[in-house]
Amino acid sequence: MPYKYIVGHGLDLQRAMAAWREAAPEIELRPVELNVRADQAAMQAALEVLEVEEGTTAFVAADAYFLNLHRLEMMSILRGRGITMPALVERGAIVAAGVKILDNTWIGAGAVIQPGCRIGFNVVIGPGAVIGGFAQIGQSAFIDAGVTVGHGAKIGAKATLGMGVSVAHGVEIGTLSVVDKPMRVEANVAAKTFIQSSHAHPMVMMGA
Amino acid sequence: MQSKMPPQAYIDQAWFDRERDLLFKPLWQFIGLKLMLEQHNSFITRTLFGIPIVVQNFRGELRAFENICPHRQNPIQLEPHGVRPLFCGYHGWSFDSEGQTKIPYEEALYRYPQEERNCIHLRRFALEVVGNLLFVNLSENPLPIKQQFGAAMLASLEQSSLAYDSEVIMTTYDGRFNWKLAYENLRDGHHPRYLHARTLYQEVKFAASINEDGVAALRRQQQDDLSDPKRALALMRTFSGGGRDAPMEAPPNEHWQQFVERYRDQDWYYNWLAFPNLHIASSNGGHSFIIEHHIPVGPGRTDFMVYYVTAKKKKPYASSAAVLHAHMMGADKVLREDIDVMEQIQRTLHPGARPPHLGDYEFLNAGIEHWYLNLMEGTFAL
Repeated sequence: MPYKYIVGHGLDLQRAMAAWREAAPEIELRPVELNVRADQAAMQAALEVLEVEEGTTAFVAADAYFLNLHRLEMMSILRGRGITMPALVERGAIVAAGVKILDNTWIGAGAVIQPGCRIGFNVVIGPGAVIGGFAQIGQSAFIDAGVTVGHGAKIGAKATLGMGVSVAHGVEIGTLSVVDKPMRVEANVAAKTFIQSSHAHPMVMMGA
Repeated sequence: MQSKMPPQAYIDQAWFDRERDLLFKPLWQFIGLKLMLEQHNSFITRTLFGIPIVVQNFRGELRAFENICPHRQNPIQLEPHGVRPLFCGYHGWSFDSEGQTKIPYEEALYRYPQEERNCIHLRRFALEVVGNLLFVNLSENPLPIKQQFGAAMLASLEQSSLAYDSEVIMTTYDGRFNWKLAYENLRDGHHPRYLHARTLYQEVKFAASINEDGVAALRRQQQDDLSDPKRALALMRTFSGGGRDAPMEAPPNEHWQQFVERYRDQDWYYNWLAFPNLHIASSNGGHSFIIEHHIPVGPGRTDFMVYYVTAKKKKPYASSAAVLHAHMMGADKVLREDIDVMEQIQRTLHPGARPPHLGDYEFLNAGIEHWYLNLMEGTFAL
């Protein structure tokens, strides 16, 4: 009987388990409690020793911690072991015909993905989020529950949009940026710009 | 010992204006990091005491100018940083590394008399590069920077800042406190045990103590005649210093640290205090640095600019941006503890407030206070 590892921590793990139970009741689910904030070497070691058989699949359920790099790292380790990682589309999500949902992407309940969207792998789109037509969502982006992304908007790889954010039509959010303060974003946000409730002014990054 | 600092030193606009003229204008002030200005035409803009300043790279030469077009006073560079020629977007005036301007349609539209034309150029400020640290001086006859910080401090700042990587994260806090509360807080080694008990003090056990030699020197200083500017400058140099501060509780062990060229090799908290308003620290034994610049804006307002860099990367690694972001978020906890207490103190101050009572362990702050009040009273001038 095929089985699927659900890798994650706390509420993310519980939510993913519940969603997969509903989405694929025929699959045996094996939860792997792994805190993304744990030591990287320990995380790698834990994923390296998972027993894998033919037909084993996996799903990583994690938040945007470390600019989404920890979720990407966990996914990369599992993919590196040859494990397939189908996407999770929760009940009630509306995904327009022709929109591809790639590996380890998680579309929450009630989310709406409009026609012409391009969505990368390892993306999280939270419950009730609305992604406008022909929007582009880069790999490993994290879009929280209820966020609105306008038509033609571009969300960079590993970018994070927190609850209460609305991105206007055609606006671009740069790679690795964070907008985690309730607001309507009307102008482009440069790569590696961090607009967060904790800070009155954005944190910005220069150089490489 | 009872402080003699009147509350007006923290809340009064006239006092603040006098402080600007007597203390800040003669002194070198930090303005930014050289690593932000590596490309031709890269620039940073800052406002110091209401004066807008641009520091611009002209083919490798760094220059500081007043960021005001001499034509209609439009700011020339509009962003806090970027890469763009020194060019005013209002009427197309452009400026070279000497501040001289090229005016489009000059003969057809302006017809300045030669005498007036000769005066049309940018106001230039003195700029000093100390490793990766940039300092400007707003006076027309700046004192040598060595006289402000001393040779040993400058060497330490230069050597440590050259360890900085080229990738930097920065932000600004709108501090509702007088800038002096920041330097007083930083020279108070007893507060981390309480204020930062759950944050910084977990990593480094700062231990305040009474330095009897320091206290004796303070007593002598308080009897001294500070009317000699050389003596006053020599004393001021003792307010800046840097290097090892306290040992770390545990050796640094973060994953990313293997990817950078560490500054020195000791598991210590490093601390540099550059009087009057610059603080640099490395809480993880030289693997990364936080640079804090407390920019006075008004008697009760300070722009608290924070930069965070790791030591130089051995080679690029994928998570470097995430490392800087995570550390900036971690530093935010400690900074907020400091900012909150400074804002609390500021709110208590009123014209009739009584001065504080300093302990002998606070001899550094008491010494600065004595020097500062002599400056403000006109006993000496910088």
